[in-house]
Amino acid sequence: MLTERAIQGIILEALDNVNAEIGADNRIAVNADARLFGDDATLDSLSLVSVIVDVETDISAQVGRAISLTDDRAMSREVSPFTDVRTLTAFIIELLAENGS
Amino acid sequence: MSIPLVLYGEHVDLRPLSLADAALTCRWRNCDRAAFLSQGATEPAEQAKWIAARPASELNFIVELKTGRPVGMLSLVNLDLIHRRAEPGRFLIGEPAAVRGIPVALEAMKLLYGLAFDGLGLLRIWGTIAADNVRMIKLQKYLGMREEGRMRQHYLVNNGTLQDAILLGLLVEEYRQLTLPRLEALIESCRPATSTTPTKAEALTC
Repeated sequence: MLTERAIQGIILEALDNVNAEIGADNRIAVNADARLFGDDATLDSLSLVSVIVDVETDISAQVGRAISLTDDRAMSREVSPFTDVRTLTAFIIELLAENGS
Repeated sequence: MSIPLVLYGEHVDLRPLSLADAALTCRWRNCDRAAFLSQGATEPAEQAKWIAARPASELNFIVELKTGRPVGMLSLVNLDLIHRRAEPGRFLIGEPAAVRGIPVALEAMKLLYGLAFDGLGLLRIWGTIAADNVRMIKLQKYLGMREEGRMRQHYLVNNGTLQDAILLGLLVEEYRQLTLPRLEALIESCRPATSTTPTKAEALTC
């Protein structure tokens, strides 16, 4: 069972990876309050996909089955789960709880 | 076979690259974000000559926001209608601050792939990416491209170093089964909650 803190740690590590992949001028703030995508957010869509890939890979490895962050639920939300670190953490907790991980 | 002049999306449109884009695209090609592209023109006049010399086997586009503001470029090159294949490339977001919060790159890619597979009836697209361009390789693999090889010291990139290239390919059936649904899901998940009104941050350029 992954804790909220562990999930948040995985997301923050994915953001660190983005910083390693982009130029120094475009570095993003990495913290629990970081906004991911949307108005006033710092990620472009390519960086967001990088975060999604890293988080899916890490979470899937830790729970032992494939997790998709871009399923129908993500698409149908009024507030995108990719708005900030907290919304993404909450979305993953919900996904894992529904599947008993 | 007719090729549409402009490809219309929800967040962006793709319109043909023209000589009038020489200064803008020259600036984009010489910013930090273009470090992984092969070396290009350094002066607008040189860039204009390059644009004028584009062969019929290439479709070069400017990515525009729905406001008409140009924010990037991408191309379909080495178009081969006999073997029904082509190479997407020269993908560059030149105005990063203007595209934050909008799935510009994803929709631009969706429009280009739609042209390739649905508009032109291609069976395969392929391309090479500088080995250090981890983010783009990760994205393309996530979107269904498969690694088909590695080309040693293939690119002399803008920082003057030689880099290996990763060879990636995508077949039409993989596009339909994985790439298109995944692109649509990503774009939908990234849909802005509010309008795309320009912000102060848009004044920043690379």
